[in-house]
Amino acid sequence: MEALHRRVGRIAEPQILFPLIAVVLLAAMWVATVGIIRLKHTEAEHDAAVLSRELLGTYEAQVVRVLREIDQTLNLVKFWHERNSTQGALSELKDRGLLPPDLVFSVSIADRDGTVVESTRQLGGDSVADQDYFRKQRDGSAILVGKLPQGATGDGKLLFSKRLNGPSGDFDGVVMVAVDAAFFVSGYDAAKLGEHGVLGILGTDGIVRVRRSGESMFSGDALDYASVLPKPDDADAEPPVSRSSWDGVWRWSTAREIYGFPLAILVGLAQEEQLAAVRRDAFVYLSWAAAGSVGIILLMAVLGRMSWQLAQSRLRESESKLEHARRVEYLAYHDGLTGLPNRSMFSKLLAQRISEARRYNKQLAVAFLDLDRFKQINDTLGHEAGDQLLVEVAARLQGCVRASDTVARLGGDEFVVLLPEIEDGKQAVVVAQKILAVIGKAFTLIGHEFRVTASIGISLYPQDGEDEQTLTKNADIAMYQAKAEGKNNFQFYSEKLNANSLERLTLESSLRHALERNEFRLYYQAKRDIRSGRIAGMEALLRWEHPDLGTVAPMQFIPVAEDTGLIVPIGKWVLKTACLQSAAWQNEGLPPLSVAVNMTARQFSDEYLLQDLASILKDTGMNPQLLEIELSESLLIHDVETTLRILTGIKSLGVRIAVDDFGTGYSSLATLQRFPLDTVKIDRSFIGDLVGPSEDSALADAVIAMGKSLSLTVVAQGVETKEQAEFLRTHACDELQGFYFNRPLPAYQFAQLMRAQTADISYVGTRAGLLNPQL
Amino acid sequence: MKTTALSAMIFAVLAANVHAEDIVVIVNPAAKPLSKEQIVDIYLGRSADLTPIDQTVGSSIYVQFYKKATGRDAAQMKAIWSRILFTGRGQPPKQLPDSAAVKKSVAANPNAVGYIEKSAVDATVKVALPLD
Repeated sequence: MEALHRRVGRIAEPQILFPLIAVVLLAAMWVATVGIIRLKHTEAEHDAAVLSRELLGTYEAQVVRVLREIDQTLNLVKFWHERNSTQGALSELKDRGLLPPDLVFSVSIADRDGTVVESTRQLGGDSVADQDYFRKQRDGSAILVGKLPQGATGDGKLLFSKRLNGPSGDFDGVVMVAVDAAFFVSGYDAAKLGEHGVLGILGTDGIVRVRRSGESMFSGDALDYASVLPKPDDADAEPPVSRSSWDGVWRWSTAREIYGFPLAILVGLAQEEQLAAVRRDAFVYLSWAAAGSVGIILLMAVLGRMSWQLAQSRLRESESKLEHARRVEYLAYHDGLTGLPNRSMFSKLLAQRISEARRYNKQLAVAFLDLDRFKQINDTLGHEAGDQLLVEVAARLQGCVRASDTVARLGGDEFVVLLPEIEDGKQAVVVAQKILAVIGKAFTLIGHEFRVTASIGISLYPQDGEDEQTLTKNADIAMYQAKAEGKNNFQFYSEKLNANSLERLTLESSLRHALERNEFRLYYQAKRDIRSGRIAGMEALLRWEHPDLGTVAPMQFIPVAEDTGLIVPIGKWVLKTACLQSAAWQNEGLPPLSVAVNMTARQFSDEYLLQDLASILKDTGMNPQLLEIELSESLLIHDVETTLRILTGIKSLGVRIAVDDFGTGYSSLATLQRFPLDTVKIDRSFIGDLVGPSEDSALADAVIAMGKSLSLTVVAQGVETKEQAEFLRTHACDELQGFYFNRPLPAYQFAQLMRAQTADISYVGTRAGLLNPQL
Repeated sequence: MKTTALSAMIFAVLAANVHAEDIVVIVNPAAKPLSKEQIVDIYLGRSADLTPIDQTVGSSIYVQFYKKATGRDAAQMKAIWSRILFTGRGQPPKQLPDSAAVKKSVAANPNAVGYIEKSAVDATVKVALPLD
């Protein structure tokens, strides 16, 4: 049942239904047409056969009457002649109107010698003695019917003759009636018989006396009498179509013998003519059928197409409805201008995230963001510019957050950032700072650059609220606080975080200006060769002297610089300064020493690193071989492939590379072997406990051995005691660095140290190489 | 016999050539007036209102009459009358040898109609229709 239903359904589809209908209609039409034609054909055939029989009947009557009249005339003349035995029989009979019409018949009498003694009309010659029939009549007494030679009948006459007897029954001559052969077929009706029907008389001897088709009359053909006449049983049946032997035309023909005469009549209807009408009709019917076919096909095609189009448009309609519905739904949940989720959607999301945070025991942050003085910009530059700004802000905000975070627009210039699944409020701080930084960058509106700032209020789950309303309310309060605090900042609803972040914020803003205010200094710490004790090189260390904060430890400001990205320009400054210094010292005649500069992860991953490095080397004229970049072990192994690529780049500049804090990362020998390193610096943690228990010394040993196995210069960091130095020397460390030997010194002091070394001969050759640590 | 016929033929031909005379259709004085259509119908065997009389078949007056009245020649007339005779619908018109005989017959028979030369017309007969 189901399958049937489906089948029916399939049929109803336009591409099947209409062709199917077309096929059915076409089939029906053609079957009907062919049927009708066949029917008509059969009918016509039947009609023709019947007609030929009918015509035969009529013709028979007509011919018989004529023959009887001829017979009567012959008998009359014979009777008169035999009775009266005088001349002038004919003229007398004629006067009495007893002879058939002159127009067609002529009567003659010939005597026993064959001489024509009387005639109603002049015929042939005077003697008929040599005629066939004359001779026959001499011997017989039946009526004889003459023949004509083969060919067109024309005026040819058929001669009917009878024997005249004398008083004693002896041959006394012949009486003859001559008839135009054409007379016998003068009743040919072309309307019934057509141009190729046949009307004719033939003798029992098979010779055609006359036959007529259309206007042409022929005589003399020899036919097979027996085959022309129908068999006795078939006498009443419909005659079949046969090919007339005298002219090859296919006809329905019948023949019938005339009683009392050695003659038969022949009637035939030409097949082609009789069927011509049917053929014409058939042609018409077929034409109509063809036209109908074309019509049906076109109609079905049109209907099919229309139906298909209807289906298509319905489909399109429903699709567009769906599309419309989707759009409406989208608009219900998204802001039209920026494409960000709108208030309703945010509300839903927040509720969802709160329950998730509850379930997984995480925190989340809601940060309300308001653009400061947006109204002014909108009023000054116009709404179009204002909109542009909002769109750009939306984009930038999205760039500050993770994929799992949500940025939404609440309306006007109010945005909200949802940070789900955070571990700590501090993460929110980082994001808030990023946002402030990113908003702080210039916007290009209507061809000009503008800057805006934002005020951010942050509330945390669960501290500042456990439901949607509370969190949003508190974030809002925090935001107003931020505005009150002078805008372009962020505030937490809870106090504690505020304090920490305030400090951080202060540091950060100071750091931003430190470079331009020249608050940085480079100090140099000497690295000493372990055997000679001579200064083998130096490390450049960054110091920050803030007017208010004082000297800020690198440990304090480097992380902030790293986070804000300020480390990049600062790092560039460091490199440049170090190179300049080195170059300057060489110019003064001091020996060329290597300078090591630290590099952070942020600097290392900066895209312009190699570019900047190259241009610094060029600008300062620094010999790259004297520059050494220090990278911590953990940094190097973070992304081995990228690291390798960058290191190779640095190496190609000719700069040397050192691994810092060696032993604190988890690198394997195999990994380290891949890097193009020059120096390894053992972390101070290994040095600190050297002279203590033997495990630590073994550890340090191992590290040194590792370094040496990599064929690198091994430097020990943080050497502070004589004992440590001693140990290291015995363990084949190459260089030492640390307070024991030299503290980091400002440039001019370091220069003095170098000069002192060069000048003092007592330094040369001293194996201990111990110097006054005070210097 | 042959010579008589031959000389008659020659005479007819000569006669025909010498004077292509005007022919008139004549009826009995007591007969009703006739239209040309009626005369034609009678002589084509379509109507039996009157009994038509022909002159000798093939003679010049015969040929001329049929030509002028019906537009047909002797052979066509023969075919027409053969057909009528054969199908039993009628008899061909009686043939009389000359105009005098025709006049005599028409004058004696109120149902007869014939044709003679215009010059042969006299009071014994009425001209039904002149032919041109």
